[in-house]
Amino acid sequence: MTLTTKSVEVPVPAASPRPGKDGRGRSRREAGAGIVLTIPVAVFFVVFWLVPFCGAVYLSFTDYEMAGVPRWIGLDNYARMLQDPGVWNSAWITVVYTVCTVLPTILLALLVAVPLSGPGRLNRVLRSLVLVPAVMPLAATSMVWVIIYSDRGLANTLLGAVGIEPQSWLTSSDLAIWALVVMVVWKSLGLFVIILTAGLQALPREVYEAAAIDGAGPVTTFRRITVPLLRRTLLFVLVISVAGSMQAFVPAFLLTGGGPADATQVLPYYIWANAFPYEHMGYASALAMMLLVAMLVVSIVQFGFLRGGDE
Amino acid sequence: MRVLRTVWLLSAVGAMLLPIYVMLVVASAPDDTDLGGLVFNGFHLPENLAELFAGEGFPVYFRNSVIYCVGSGAMDVLFSSAAGYALAQLSFPGRRVLFALVVGTLALAPMVMIIPVFLIVKELGWVNTLQGVIVPGMISAFGVFLVRQFALGVPKELIFAARVDGAGELRIFLRVALPLLRPALVTLFLIHFLAQWDNLLWPLIVANDPALWSLPVGLANFQSEHGFNYHLMTAAALVTAVPPFLLLAGLQRYYVAGLTFGGVK
Repeated sequence: MTLTTKSVEVPVPAASPRPGKDGRGRSRREAGAGIVLTIPVAVFFVVFWLVPFCGAVYLSFTDYEMAGVPRWIGLDNYARMLQDPGVWNSAWITVVYTVCTVLPTILLALLVAVPLSGPGRLNRVLRSLVLVPAVMPLAATSMVWVIIYSDRGLANTLLGAVGIEPQSWLTSSDLAIWALVVMVVWKSLGLFVIILTAGLQALPREVYEAAAIDGAGPVTTFRRITVPLLRRTLLFVLVISVAGSMQAFVPAFLLTGGGPADATQVLPYYIWANAFPYEHMGYASALAMMLLVAMLVVSIVQFGFLRGGDE
Repeated sequence: MRVLRTVWLLSAVGAMLLPIYVMLVVASAPDDTDLGGLVFNGFHLPENLAELFAGEGFPVYFRNSVIYCVGSGAMDVLFSSAAGYALAQLSFPGRRVLFALVVGTLALAPMVMIIPVFLIVKELGWVNTLQGVIVPGMISAFGVFLVRQFALGVPKELIFAARVDGAGELRIFLRVALPLLRPALVTLFLIHFLAQWDNLLWPLIVANDPALWSLPVGLANFQSEHGFNYHLMTAAALVTAVPPFLLLAGLQRYYVAGLTFGGVK
């Protein structure tokens, strides 16, 4: 598997069993081309992923305030995390935010996608329309929802229509997190509808025909056929939405600035705040490691769930 | 049953479009007196857009966003197509290691990487530079992986035939494989463009010079620049949303192909 300096005319055995029968010195030219074509990507991933990842692990064991040099302090950052009420607050808010965005979004997306996946011109038009929120940039979406949640905005107009008095959505520590949740559910719904619709359209027609012949109603068909067959797509949606929610920074940054009184300070926001405004690079790296481990554990649990279901 | 289903779908999609409608109403308002967003109060969108683009910051942010998205999207297409093809069709030393490295990064959250990447960019002297904004995000593991999966479907016979005809490996890549990969490359460019268009975190951290801000950073700082000027801010949000909508209108099937990549099996 190494490049030699022999001339290319000399027949050499294929470098690996992969390239197959046409061997004859091609394998070395093939290897050369492979290296040339992948070198930029290899360098990029080493410089901007592998090295930084090792750096993040290292920094998490140091005291580093940007201005100075990193000073090794062992597990002190991790010990400090356990006693930092900000960490517990952020972890709890992240859990609430993730659960309350992911579950309603998937449920609603399924309820929309099932009727929407059928044929017909209306469905085709509606399928294009649900893409609209999905393709709205989150930064622009956030600005629009700032308006919706403003004192005289749509949220209070709608409440007024049913006789409830106006609320300060983004400046109330009880409501702010729910204001974010509603916006994020709205924003991700279209995306998941499209993914689920594509999954539904790939399901075999015959099963549904058989179910109809056997006299299964829509609810039974949904529970006994659609959900089990759609399992992989649902898991995919679950995995990407949980990962997305656990990393969400922009909504908290743009709508509430983590406030009021840290009520929307999700973990990514807490990491960013420690690292950039405050320049506690070492401590922020330890927090980032905690987020990474939490995300890994959650995805292992999700994939275990899938494997368990396949048996 | 049919009626019920249609009513449900129409109201669900209507609710999903309501905030977009609010955006159009408020962006067309002459001032901030009515933000309820249900009734058009005249149509002052052209005036609002003129005011935005006459300002100092907004045209710069718009231009920067276009440069960042087209530039890094083109880089991603270039490098990911080369690497994705090689990973799928060529045998070379280090192939497995590289593939594992690329796929492994899919598990890493941006928030985990942002601190050390910032420190590297600082070390390179790239803070507050164009390359500092573009380079760290210009190649995506998603792109390499997407092209590789697609390139696995390029028939081996075609490549063998080109080799028998005496074509060099790079020529085979450019002339045989690349045209076949075109749909995947359009999808990749589109997904990359949209993600970069909406990237707030990285430019926010690496560029504190307003001359380098992109639209999301400009939107985030809108109130500190313009004060509470909600109808103008909404017009800015609308402008930010237009290029993705235009791209989607032209390339919807490539977008859906990208979204559902990996989801349907």
